[in-house]
Amino acid sequence: KQGTFCVDCETYHTAASTIGSQGQTGKLMYVMHNSEYPLSCFALFENGPCLIADANFDILMVKLKGFFQNAKANKIESRGTRYQYCDFLVKVGTVTMGPSARGISVEVEYCPCVIANDCWNLLLEFMQSFMGNHTPGVPSVFGTKHDSIYSPSDTMGQYMELFNKIRKQQAVPVAGIR
Amino acid sequence: GQQASPFVLRARRSMDKSGMPWHLRYLGQPEIGDKNRHALVRNCVDIATSDNLTDFLVEMGFRMDHEFVAKGHVFRKGIMKIVVYKIFRILMPGNTESIEPLSLSYLVELNVVAPAGQDVVSDDMRNFAEQLKPLVHLEKIDPKRLM
Repeated sequence: KQGTFCVDCETYHTAASTIGSQGQTGKLMYVMHNSEYPLSCFALFENGPCLIADANFDILMVKLKGFFQNAKANKIESRGTRYQYCDFLVKVGTVTMGPSARGISVEVEYCPCVIANDCWNLLLEFMQSFMGNHTPGVPSVFGTKHDSIYSPSDTMGQYMELFNKIRKQQAVPVAGIR
Repeated sequence: GQQASPFVLRARRSMDKSGMPWHLRYLGQPEIGDKNRHALVRNCVDIATSDNLTDFLVEMGFRMDHEFVAKGHVFRKGIMKIVVYKIFRILMPGNTESIEPLSLSYLVELNVVAPAGQDVVSDDMRNFAEQLKPLVHLEKIDPKRLM
């Protein structure tokens, strides 16, 4: 065991007053934080760019509240324990939205490698050893990456997808597993 | 947006140091009671970002108003920063290789980023500005006249 972790995600909508000028429907912007990168803030659009910024980005979002509204009820987070096993980092967290628990997330990282495709098979084998049938398929972020260097934005993109999936599910009395 | 005064953000990057983060800055309206101060005081939020900042700002709904290249020197005296630079017009949008000077003069700017409420800083700035006379005559600007 190596301490705890927390990943959170807040949702912002483009305010109604600004939609007309863009000629498009309102957009959702996600602002996320990851305890692994305590001085950073990640801002992303689904299928869009991911900006990595320092913590002052949160202050900017307060200044921008006329244009982007924080959907506070949609704030979702995963909190739990960090485990280090040789070169692997495993984080198991409870995903909560407000007061209710909505599921469990498992994040597995193979630390020495930065090219995603080079270590996918190794990750798969490692995950199968303790996740069995729940082992996931190739994350969609790997699809576009090929041989480019994996970055923290890719991790945040995966969490965003997971959180969106969980948000869409009905709240279940028993925690579901990804 | 459709508000009366548009929300302005400034995105800046180094052209001579590779790998540095981009710099995003928000500057608020001049503070009330400003007329008596020797320097222009505005709320400021500075954010370091990854290099996809301009794409991200467009995605957020911002559009580029203008861009320019500044080349010159930075001096520091305590927390005061004095920048002496020439402004260059960019001839083709986004292409920083093809630029031309806006004028033959250099612009001298004295600024300080300080915690809120430290009004005495503007006195220090005025005292420093006095020392630059008659070589440079620094004046407090009124941003409304420029917009």
